[in-house]
Amino acid sequence: MKYRQARWTSDVCLEPLVFELGGKGRRGTFSREKLLSDPEIPEGFIRASINLPELSEPEVVRHYTRLSQMNFGVDSGFYPLGSCTMKYNPKISEELAGLETATNIHPYQSEETVQGALELMHNLERSLAEIAGVSRVCLHPAAGAHGELLGMLLVRAHFKLKGEERTEVIVPDSAHGTNFTSAAMAGFNVVVVPSDSRGRVDIAALQEAVTKKTAALMLTNPNTLGLFEDGILEIAKIVHKAGGLLYYDGANLNGIMGKARPGDMGFDIVHFNLHKTFSTPHGGGGPGAGPVGVCKSLEEFLPAPMVEYNKKAKRYYLDYNRPYSIGKIKSFYGNFGVLVKAYTYILMMGAEGLEAVTDAAVVNANYIMRKLEELSDYEFKYPGPCKHEAVVSVEPLKTEKEVTARDVAKSLLDYGMHAPTYYFPPIVPEALMIEPTETESKEELDRFVDALKRIAEEAHTKPEKLRSSPTGTAIGRLDEVKAAREPILSWRMYKREKTKDAEAPPQEIKNDATP
Amino acid sequence: MEKYEIRDGLHYSREHEWVKVEGNLARVGITDYAQKKLGDIVYAELPDIGEQVKQLVEKKTKEMELGALESIKAVSAIYSPISGKVKEVNNALQERPELANTSPYDEGWVCVIDPSTLNVELGSLMDAKEYSEYLKKLG
Amino acid sequence: MGSHFLPSTRESLNEMLREIGVANIEELFADIPSKIRLKHGLNLPPPMSESEVRRHVKTMLSKNKPFTEMPTFLGGGVWPHHVPAHVRSLVQRSEFLTSYTPYQAETSQGMLQALFEYQSLVAELVGLDIANSSMYDWATAAGEAALMCARVTGRKRFLVPKLISPERLSVLKNYISGPALETVEIGYNSATGQLRVDELEGQLGEDVAGVYIENPSYLGFLETQVQEIAEAAHKAGALFVVGVNPISLGLLKPPGDYGADIVVGEGQPLGNPVSFGGPTLGIFACRDEQKLLRQMPGRLVGMTTTLDGNTRGYTMTLQTREQHIRRERATSNICSNEALCAVSAAIYLSSMGPSGLREVAETCASNAGYAMKKLRKIKGLQVPIFDSPHFNEFTLKCVKPGLGIETFNDRLLELGVHGGTPVQREFPDLGETAVLCTTELHTKEDIDKLVEAAARAVEGKK
Repeated sequence: MKYRQARWTSDVCLEPLVFELGGKGRRGTFSREKLLSDPEIPEGFIRASINLPELSEPEVVRHYTRLSQMNFGVDSGFYPLGSCTMKYNPKISEELAGLETATNIHPYQSEETVQGALELMHNLERSLAEIAGVSRVCLHPAAGAHGELLGMLLVRAHFKLKGEERTEVIVPDSAHGTNFTSAAMAGFNVVVVPSDSRGRVDIAALQEAVTKKTAALMLTNPNTLGLFEDGILEIAKIVHKAGGLLYYDGANLNGIMGKARPGDMGFDIVHFNLHKTFSTPHGGGGPGAGPVGVCKSLEEFLPAPMVEYNKKAKRYYLDYNRPYSIGKIKSFYGNFGVLVKAYTYILMMGAEGLEAVTDAAVVNANYIMRKLEELSDYEFKYPGPCKHEAVVSVEPLKTEKEVTARDVAKSLLDYGMHAPTYYFPPIVPEALMIEPTETESKEELDRFVDALKRIAEEAHTKPEKLRSSPTGTAIGRLDEVKAAREPILSWRMYKREKTKDAEAPPQEIKNDATP
Repeated sequence: MEKYEIRDGLHYSREHEWVKVEGNLARVGITDYAQKKLGDIVYAELPDIGEQVKQLVEKKTKEMELGALESIKAVSAIYSPISGKVKEVNNALQERPELANTSPYDEGWVCVIDPSTLNVELGSLMDAKEYSEYLKKLG
Repeated sequence: MGSHFLPSTRESLNEMLREIGVANIEELFADIPSKIRLKHGLNLPPPMSESEVRRHVKTMLSKNKPFTEMPTFLGGGVWPHHVPAHVRSLVQRSEFLTSYTPYQAETSQGMLQALFEYQSLVAELVGLDIANSSMYDWATAAGEAALMCARVTGRKRFLVPKLISPERLSVLKNYISGPALETVEIGYNSATGQLRVDELEGQLGEDVAGVYIENPSYLGFLETQVQEIAEAAHKAGALFVVGVNPISLGLLKPPGDYGADIVVGEGQPLGNPVSFGGPTLGIFACRDEQKLLRQMPGRLVGMTTTLDGNTRGYTMTLQTREQHIRRERATSNICSNEALCAVSAAIYLSSMGPSGLREVAETCASNAGYAMKKLRKIKGLQVPIFDSPHFNEFTLKCVKPGLGIETFNDRLLELGVHGGTPVQREFPDLGETAVLCTTELHTKEDIDKLVEAAARAVEGKK
């Protein structure tokens, strides 16, 4: 299967910028009746003008429709982005999160007028707590990294109350970048622990690294290599013996649902990525949600309010009476619209559905691993079986033909598949991190393996083709160096640069498509 | 094996910085090997004038950092090959970071240092021949 | 298998297991220690079909009373505005909705350009050159702004108004707790609510990283001394940060014009529903200056060309500030943001145009003016409590002896009107006060109903 993305072009650009469209006096929406009163705002505070584009509704719709055609989602094709869990997003979730009874409620409404929302959040909390084996769950964080920050703040609060000064957080060398940053943002020093020859945390090294200064160890399990940390009970023992806490990065929860629970493994704090495991759409980067679950002893520190149920009055309510709470990390109660979608998903799947998800996700990943092992150009640095994702190295192609992981990934785009994550985790050279998820058929997986096979063959016969791919997308490779050296980050900056160029010596004049 | 330019008369560190003695001052920059490994440099983070820096010996610490060079995908710290006080920084490099790629030994210099114990420390650096051998060993 | 989202059948799974070379699925989980292996399934309700879940969730949510069903005057961080129908239909397009962060620029020009347009539109709105492609909300954006001020200036104190939104202050304090920065609250003039500039100047010193104000304030009035505050901050070498409701900028002078270095705010009212407080949209913008840009948090989309220089395109840029490259030294840990909400905002602003946004803002302010004029005539109420110009939010205080604001609100509710947000617990000095909000969605009838209900609520009449 080949892929030709829509390509709108206009002189020197694809679709023009919205600022380059429309015309004077056009309006896309809103008309009003007479003003009820004169806004009593002093002249000096009124703005003279505002430079927004002037388009009618049809023009706006056409513009953004065309832009959407030059984009690629899970609904378009295979999206094996490792650690992102790009699974199919059920449309019923969109419908329900779009109901008026979900969109048109205000967080400060009297509690008796939002019992449905509170009940939903309460039930979602209970479900997530069961899935992860934790005691309470805070639904406030807007993303996984946000949950990590909350987790780190909870760790700090825990030791502050105990009167212990603990300054270090340990992170494996294969960890996601946000783990490092979240720990640092909470004021901790990050200590990195290496992985062993099996791709798991080096337990001996961990034993060395864990001291009385250790506040926490952040782990994801399965780890970023898609391998289950089978020494987890030993790891938990080492950290807890030293008085530290264990933090679970839930990005890879898709690999163990219904099989094991982080809470049972000994994790004290767990964050969930609802936009990964629980199938809420990624939206091009967000919105997501990163709820945080905790063991009993950490409950008191959670942000307020928590949703509680008054059995006597048979009412749900927001509990602000939390004297040890660290305060808030986001306004209001979390990304409610996203919570509705995750709740809907969990209801549809049920226990057996979630376990079936993990089964299929793990079989799919191992199937790809097995098929790629047959191809000499793809190397697995660590033995399987893997869980829901596998990391392959194209080092052989780099060594022999100067074809890199990036080249292979970009070539996949021409087959109508999104590239896997590449160059991560950093401990594997020329890495491609492949997570198929459970919503892919065997045929799709075979097509993927076949595409990788063809790409490897082309690496030997016509490597320049791979290095210049993709050619079937709306645009080819971009000058990222120029983007970083001469940042143009808005229309205002672009106009200023153009004026500068126009005033510069002749050879610098650019031919731009300006109406 | 790739050809890397190595200049005679300069002193080289294991982290691929060069030192040029100019009277009782020392000019510092990165080598051709370093700029090739970094790829296109898009930003140069330079030290402050007056900053005290220490020569990198074994363990890397913050006081040994002379700033950093950024490509689009990575940030590489520049480790000081000698100890002393930063006297001058290359503003041209700040404005045109690509100078570190096109002219690493000339226009792409990083800073000038007023060294504290130059002669002693030069002894731990390599000359052009030794650096060439070092690069061959790196492979 | 059950779920219609899984293409696998028992047969296809078995076929794959054979090729993998294992006898059954359990072998693939053999490395999980038996001690933690779940012996029974998870304790969750049985799975529902799509029609069952539709009925179940709809019934549950029907216990909510949407604010469209009765006149409601709530704001305070998310505000009910008109969301044009075409905004939703465009962002529901699956190429946008189900896509990931646009790291692969070649196949994601749609999202990248839409985000570049969002950045550009926000830049025009706030009067600064650079806006990132979103943060989680106003509160976290303010927290990140404080951290940025500290990184840029090397200083540790951050000055905020005493009348800052308490939720935003709580979030801000958590964000700055890592590097142990300190907030100092600056008092206000009790008659006008205006920041006490003399007190501000007294607190400004060589250790102040930034000065933050909210304009309009959490209590709805406009800060009229913004020039003086900006000058005082800059004179002391501090950065000036302004927090805004972007709808107000359809009418009011943008902070970029009165000296703001950083602008933060809540983008929800731009084409996003209230949705019980989330998803929200954190606005973050700054002046185009190298030392600020380098320290800016969040993702940035930049314009560039193809390698041959012939075609304009967009790509995520300056990523070396971010977590996946800088790790501990990144400007923020933010990874997933509120991208789709940002695209909604871009579509909204493109549809509004200058005259549309101006009209919305004027209507918001005019409705508030009308409501205040009528409410202040009611004996027993003080509306507003501050003698300053207001935008679309204002304070209402019960001054009748013995009448608490919560009781007042309860009575309003019984009369079919939802009052504003009580702030007497957050600001005890202000007495029995609530903050009310009007938007372009309120009709004359809505406001008249509020006034009538308020008069009766004060009297204690049913």
